[in-house]
Amino acid sequence: MNPVLEVRGVSKRFGGLAALSEVSFEVARGELLALVGPNGAGKSTLFNTIAGVAPPTAGRILLEGTDVTGKSSHALARLGVARTFQLVTLFRELTVLENVVQGLHRHTRLAVLDGLLGLPRYREDTRRLAERAEGVLALLGIAAHRHERADALPLGIAKLLTVAIALATEPRLLLLDEPAAGLSHDEATRMMDLVAGEVRKRCTVVLVEHNMRIVGNYCDRAVVLQFGRKIYDGAAAGLVHDPAVVDAYLGVAEMDG
Amino acid sequence: MTPLLLAQGLAIGLVNGALYILTALGLTLIYGILHIVNFAHGEIYMLGAMAVYVFFVVLQWPLGAALAAIVLLAALLGLAIERGVFRNLRGQWMQLLVASVGISLIIQSLSWIAFGAQEKNVPSVLPGVVALAGVRVPIERLAAAGVALVLVAALYWVVYRTRTGLAMRAIEEDEETARMLGVNADRVAAVAVALGFILAGLGGAFVAPIYSLNPGMGLEAILMSFIIIIIGGLGSITGTVLAGLAIGVLQSIGALALGAEAAHVLVFAAMIAVLILRPQGLLGRG
Amino acid sequence: MTVARVAALLLALIVLPFVATPYALHVAIVVLFNVTYTAALYAVLRMGYLSLGHAGFIALGAYTCVILSVRLGVSPWLGIPAGGLVAGLFAWGLGALTLRLRGIYFALAIFAFGEIVTAFFRAFDWFGGPAGIPGVPRPAFLGTPLASHFAFYWPVLVVAVLGIAILYRLQYTRFGAALLTLKTAESERLAESVGIPAARYKTANFVVSCVITGTMGTLHAQYLLFVNPQVFGSTMSTDLLIYAMVGGLAGFWGPILGAGLLTALGEQLFSVGYWKTLVYAAILMVVIMVLPGGLADLPRRLRAHFGAPR
Repeated sequence: MNPVLEVRGVSKRFGGLAALSEVSFEVARGELLALVGPNGAGKSTLFNTIAGVAPPTAGRILLEGTDVTGKSSHALARLGVARTFQLVTLFRELTVLENVVQGLHRHTRLAVLDGLLGLPRYREDTRRLAERAEGVLALLGIAAHRHERADALPLGIAKLLTVAIALATEPRLLLLDEPAAGLSHDEATRMMDLVAGEVRKRCTVVLVEHNMRIVGNYCDRAVVLQFGRKIYDGAAAGLVHDPAVVDAYLGVAEMDG
Repeated sequence: MTPLLLAQGLAIGLVNGALYILTALGLTLIYGILHIVNFAHGEIYMLGAMAVYVFFVVLQWPLGAALAAIVLLAALLGLAIERGVFRNLRGQWMQLLVASVGISLIIQSLSWIAFGAQEKNVPSVLPGVVALAGVRVPIERLAAAGVALVLVAALYWVVYRTRTGLAMRAIEEDEETARMLGVNADRVAAVAVALGFILAGLGGAFVAPIYSLNPGMGLEAILMSFIIIIIGGLGSITGTVLAGLAIGVLQSIGALALGAEAAHVLVFAAMIAVLILRPQGLLGRG
Repeated sequence: MTVARVAALLLALIVLPFVATPYALHVAIVVLFNVTYTAALYAVLRMGYLSLGHAGFIALGAYTCVILSVRLGVSPWLGIPAGGLVAGLFAWGLGALTLRLRGIYFALAIFAFGEIVTAFFRAFDWFGGPAGIPGVPRPAFLGTPLASHFAFYWPVLVVAVLGIAILYRLQYTRFGAALLTLKTAESERLAESVGIPAARYKTANFVVSCVITGTMGTLHAQYLLFVNPQVFGSTMSTDLLIYAMVGGLAGFWGPILGAGLLTALGEQLFSVGYWKTLVYAAILMVVIMVLPGGLADLPRRLRAHFGAPR
């Protein structure tokens, strides 16, 4: 069986600057993989490359054996790649429930004409979408906030909502950009318990993380980048004993996170 | 098209371009600080021209006194509009844009009511024509363009050599940080609008002896200014200067080759092309 | 709006021509034009885009119909959908190119487009030049041209009601809801990441707005019996924006209210020339400065102010 994601020799150059140099790795179905590296190591660039925001300068990206290199962000979403953003990004003027309904877009029949006429079957579809969205909210334990506007949410709930929107697309591959960053210890634990529990039951997860405690406690495997090159690819637990990784992080306080 | 005609078009184009720059520069200055494209700018240009007619022709003031009054009135109007309208709508680009349209319409309709539709003419101050190798340019236009370029140099001096200019550039770079460092952003915005209005008012004053004047003349000026600052890059002073000269030349040679209306379409097409291919403008930041 | 209210409004619009004076009917027709244009403009404003040259699409519809009927002898009936189609085609091309610009950049691009449209018609004699084209025929019904206000009211009413109904209902479709996710660049990135094809949706919505605008433009030209580059120029574009702003952008009925009230008022002021512009602009400034929610927000503000029980 093909791995869910294959990154093959991906390079990305901005002008003369190499942000990624021939990075290769695979993610197996059901895996929870951490992408680790100091600031500026190229994690976000790699994320954007996989998510179709910025196509690679060289190399290939395969999704379950199919080449998806250079596909647009919305085309990739339709193929089952979902993501969150480093800065909390929501549909700010919509309610929590409406946010998740938008996340269901790829499962929506547009049927504009039915909608203009307000046909019963269209209203039935709409009702079913709301039900599915409720299901996702319940899964992440934020259903109580369903009618609040997204821009009024506290950070902890807002970050859970970003995951809910992504999860609503029912992805094969979910890319989470620092899901626990900025959260209190308790909030981060709640988030990571959900990611490692309910979320990964449903899809393969790749997450960017700085915090070694989280990587070690929750992830199966880690890929470490430094200056755009892969310097480690192996068990998450072995990370802190690898001399190359320790060198890369030497003096960085987050090691003991 | 003969080389002589081409040279003639080039000369007239550069002179016209220098005059366009004056109005466009004020617009780009205001955009850089307040992030609004001030639709009322063309009306300030129109008022500048009309003021020359009123002070110099009707009231028979000396030219210097008329120009000084225009500078003063433009600055006061700028301060009033910044304080009364722009400052209350900061951060709301759509409201700001529409409010500037509203101000423009108010000034324009009041001027139609006050001045009537009868075209006004200001007698030539510097009659005569300069001829060089067959290329002929009226002295008046040449002088106006010359003074315009001196004002452009003065603006460079203000922006790059004074404390106020430093504060302007700081705000343009990063308003949040500039405010934290103690820059009085409200005061700088007021100065920018006042300076912009002075430039537009003088821009109008300089063309007063060249064109026939009516209260609708601001529209043409604002259109040219929009095109120039879009092509040069919103907020870029050097971009505005270069684009102003380029558009002046494009328009005058286009008019000689294809006719005035077609040249108009050409100039707009240049702007749309820039918006599509390089929306930040030729020298704007990406 | 409830079904009952819609039915009452429709009934009133149907009864109106039987009881109104010709002058009142003239005002009603002009109101229907402007209300439809403004509702179409609002559909674009609603997704965060300021279409500052929307009258350019009225002009495209109007000129298409006029050229077809006056120059090529095509039936004025056929000119009506043709005008909408041409406006839609231009909106498609222009939207695909410019809707990725945001804020002021898009506004200026469309403003320039509006100016190019009128400059183009002014530049060529075949399109009437600066003077425009007179003698525009109206369509005939059962062999009789719709010459009176009473007769011409009906096609205008049909296009207005259909156009507004489509624009209104569209908001509540899943397509219309998805448009709200495209208001800012940041939100649009998220929308793309869940599979919403942002560029395609924005263009489609822009096309719908412009088809309705252009279709109404054909009737507008037939009603005036002429076209020229001035009537559908930048003044018309800014007027539409003023109607929408004065009415209030928070909901569908605000812009319609603004267009209805200001048009009816403007028709009374028309004889005094520039006073109309002055009054419009003054009202606009008052609303922007002290009533940011527009006239539609006035009842709520009054209630809040006087504390009347709800």
